[in-house]
Amino acid sequence: MNKFLKKALILGTLSAIALLTFTACTQTDIIAKVSVTSFEKILKVSDVSTDEMYGGWSLHAPDKTTRFIFSSDFKTSAPHDIMMETDAKPFIDAGLDTSKLPAGMFVDGKIMVGQDLGDASFPDVARATASASYRELIKLDRSVLGYHEKLDHYGIDLGNGNKFEWAKDMSTNDKDIVFVLDPQVFIDAGVDPAKVTGWAFAKVESKDAAGKPVSADKFLKPFNLQ
Amino acid sequence: MQQKTINLKDEQKAAARKMQNAVSNAVYEVNTESSDKEITIPIGGMTCAACVQRIERAVRKLDGVTSASVNLATETATIKYIPSAVRISQIKAAITKLGYTPLERHSAAFIDEDKLRKQKAIRTLWVKFLVSAAFGIPLLYLAMGSMIWQLRFPIPSFLNPMQFPITYALTQIALVIPVIIAGYRFYVVGFKAIWQRSPNMDSLIAMGTSAAIIYSLYSTYLITTGDFGAVNHLYFETAGVIITLILLGKSLEAVSKGKTSEAIKKLMGLAPKTALIIQDGKEIVIPVDEVEVGDVIIVKPGEKIPADGKVVAGHTSIDESMLTGESIPVEKDMGAQVYAASINGNGSIQFRAAKVGADTALAQIIKLVEDAQGSKAPIAQLADIVSGYFVPIVFGIALLAAAAWLISGQSVVFSLSIFIAVLVIACPCALGLATPTAIMVGTGKGAEYGVLIKGGEALETAHKINTIVFDKTGTITEGKPEVTDIITAPGINRQTLLQIAASAEKGSEHPLGEAIVKGAAKEKLDLVAVDVFHAIPGYGIEVQIKGSGILLGNRKLMIDRNISMTAYESDSDRLAEEGKTPMYIARDGNLAGIIAVADVVKESSARAIKKLHEMGIEVAMITGDNRKTADAIAGQVGIDRILAEVLPQDKAAEVKKLQEQGRKVAMVGDGINDAPALAQADIGIAIGSGTDVAMESADIVLMRSDLMEVATAIQLSKRTIRNIKQNLFWAFGYNVLGIPIAAGILYIFGGPVLNPIFAAAAMSLSSVSVLTNALRLKAFKPYR
Repeated sequence: MNKFLKKALILGTLSAIALLTFTACTQTDIIAKVSVTSFEKILKVSDVSTDEMYGGWSLHAPDKTTRFIFSSDFKTSAPHDIMMETDAKPFIDAGLDTSKLPAGMFVDGKIMVGQDLGDASFPDVARATASASYRELIKLDRSVLGYHEKLDHYGIDLGNGNKFEWAKDMSTNDKDIVFVLDPQVFIDAGVDPAKVTGWAFAKVESKDAAGKPVSADKFLKPFNLQ
Repeated sequence: MQQKTINLKDEQKAAARKMQNAVSNAVYEVNTESSDKEITIPIGGMTCAACVQRIERAVRKLDGVTSASVNLATETATIKYIPSAVRISQIKAAITKLGYTPLERHSAAFIDEDKLRKQKAIRTLWVKFLVSAAFGIPLLYLAMGSMIWQLRFPIPSFLNPMQFPITYALTQIALVIPVIIAGYRFYVVGFKAIWQRSPNMDSLIAMGTSAAIIYSLYSTYLITTGDFGAVNHLYFETAGVIITLILLGKSLEAVSKGKTSEAIKKLMGLAPKTALIIQDGKEIVIPVDEVEVGDVIIVKPGEKIPADGKVVAGHTSIDESMLTGESIPVEKDMGAQVYAASINGNGSIQFRAAKVGADTALAQIIKLVEDAQGSKAPIAQLADIVSGYFVPIVFGIALLAAAAWLISGQSVVFSLSIFIAVLVIACPCALGLATPTAIMVGTGKGAEYGVLIKGGEALETAHKINTIVFDKTGTITEGKPEVTDIITAPGINRQTLLQIAASAEKGSEHPLGEAIVKGAAKEKLDLVAVDVFHAIPGYGIEVQIKGSGILLGNRKLMIDRNISMTAYESDSDRLAEEGKTPMYIARDGNLAGIIAVADVVKESSARAIKKLHEMGIEVAMITGDNRKTADAIAGQVGIDRILAEVLPQDKAAEVKKLQEQGRKVAMVGDGINDAPALAQADIGIAIGSGTDVAMESADIVLMRSDLMEVATAIQLSKRTIRNIKQNLFWAFGYNVLGIPIAAGILYIFGGPVLNPIFAAAAMSLSSVSVLTNALRLKAFKPYR
């Protein structure tokens, strides 16, 4: 075999092994790693409490109308392991027919959106801190964590186009946390998006799975915590 | 006593002279090698015209080197040096120091070794390219797939740059490393050249790709610090694809170069590898390299002749078409000349080797073609000079353009992209190939048609020729004159006249003299001894035979010696008008008679002259013959400008006169007396059937005696020069157009920026297109 070809093959193989090692190693998941740090900073300056009702942690918006809830054990959190809860009144005032919302979305005057990550087979071990629960969250399903380059935001995907986002670096961002709701289900239920108070109805640019730039309408509720 | 060669530095040369005197006084001989020697060294590792310049500059700096000419296409350096001042090892060391590899050149075995070496080099290049492509393509896929969503390339989620940027970057690093290793030569040679302040094409590639890689590594570092946006500033695929494309271009170059030198290989392939000799009464087979002068060689039917020599036994007919172009086999009997590589017919012969190895006619032809291919045409020298300055200028442009964009407010990434694109697209490698490849193919093609062009300069000058001067005897005519008429004075019969004339001309090398001797032999006349012989060049001869003073020569000789020809003027005129050459014989001061000799015009002469006229070339004939004979011959072949009654020593002056009129003159001749005129002419063309001296003095040698090959040589020259100009256009065109575009000129007007990857593709394409264009010359066919 040609000497050079031999060397190249050996090197290629070593490279492949190194690559596999790297991909297996979460140290290379810089996005997740930095998200923990930045989320902890958000937790420090936010109103965070345990959520007795749903079994998890609750990060409140400063105006208390909305909160981001995430499970502490991902075992039996109801209704979702990660979710957003917001006051339904602005939507009702804007024409929302709550009977037209999907089951479980309107509960006790609140709108709830979210998804499950764990199941009953999980150990019944509640994480001691919100930060630990967050780490567990991204460990369970890394794909729910995203990074929005344009806004320099992290985001937790709550399913169906809904998200909770926070700034990677609060010192350089004027929108430290943002609650994002997909408007379509509301529009279908009779909401006039322009009339929803407390929520901005705007186009948000992002990329789809193929990397194609897409521009989608969203309800946004941003807050500057600092 | 042992001989020893001593090399002396300049300051020791004065002392050497003293030493020489002292040694000479001691009755020993001192050999001083003060005359130039020439050596051709094959060189490995050259990549472009800048490499040529570097080597030439470095070698010329050595004390004792008088000239150095490097040819990129043949990968050889032809160096003239004074052996007492510099050793070959020093020359080779200077070449090695630059990062190139001087190779060994053996005699007969070199051909096979060189072929193997070149094949290995081509194979290695292809392997490097394939390895580079194997890793480069996935690298490009990964980069393009994530950058260009329109491609919709499926990419594994763990390689999503927005989700796992570190993994994405590390994957690209892992893929680019083998590519860099495949192209490591660019870095080794390129940076070395920069260090030695002689940047070349490899320097451009090394700098460009290094800039891309270093910036990408920096971006990777930024990602680790949390700047995830830096994932958009990775350029590993740029470096990878550039190297891959350059390797592709180099591989194609190597294959094409092999094809361009096929002519030499074909010639070399003509020679047989073994010879059957008689040694100590036994027949033994030996390698042809071991045949020595004097060996008696047996050649059986169908075999190739292994050396030049003379037949000592047997009878056969031999196909000499590869040397002379004559398709009809030539009968060979005792004493006949045979040539190496010609093919024996149905008979068996034994011949004694007179010239072996590098001295055979075939070897001389091969050397001639090789030297021609290795020589530089003036236009090539110009290209080399330009290349030498080109690379540093390109560096300057690249830096300037990048700085200008940065200052104008563009990002570092944008400016870096400009920098890389300019470096990559400005590669002058096509420039270095433009001329030598065309000359290589052109001279090789010429050899196929029996037109041996001795150098690139000859090729370049030949295309400018607007006047051709033909020698008459042996060039326009067959050179085998025969006696046609014998007119005697009263008191002498024709046999006596012929006998006297033949006796006087016996041993003459002049065709007219030989004709008279043949005429006498035909009539079975015995020749008489000549007491005194005196040749008068341009006039004739003066001899003493049995006490009588005999003059034999042309009209001028008779006039000069006051010999009256009044009674024979009408005969003389008649003969001349018939195209015959009257030879006057005077005995003891009185005209004894006239012997007319006629030389048949070659079949191709009229056709060739007509062709040359159609090509817009003026044709003249030069001869020592009398005007009337010259006019008659010229009339037969269509020549309108006649230079008759020219003394041999004046032929060169006549050529010079034409040159002084502003003409570019070619001289076609075959004899010793044509040598000065051949050397004086802008292009000297020797007919193959001519003398060694004529062939030595000429710039072009026609192996066949067909004058149509003169037209072929001119046509080939024109076609080759046209090809060179096309190649230079392609080479320069890519660079001239590409550099401003790469520098962002279109972007100023809203147009696109040249991606460095496309720059690499364009650069490789320029080399390939130059080579492909040169190979088109292979289709050359002379217009008949």
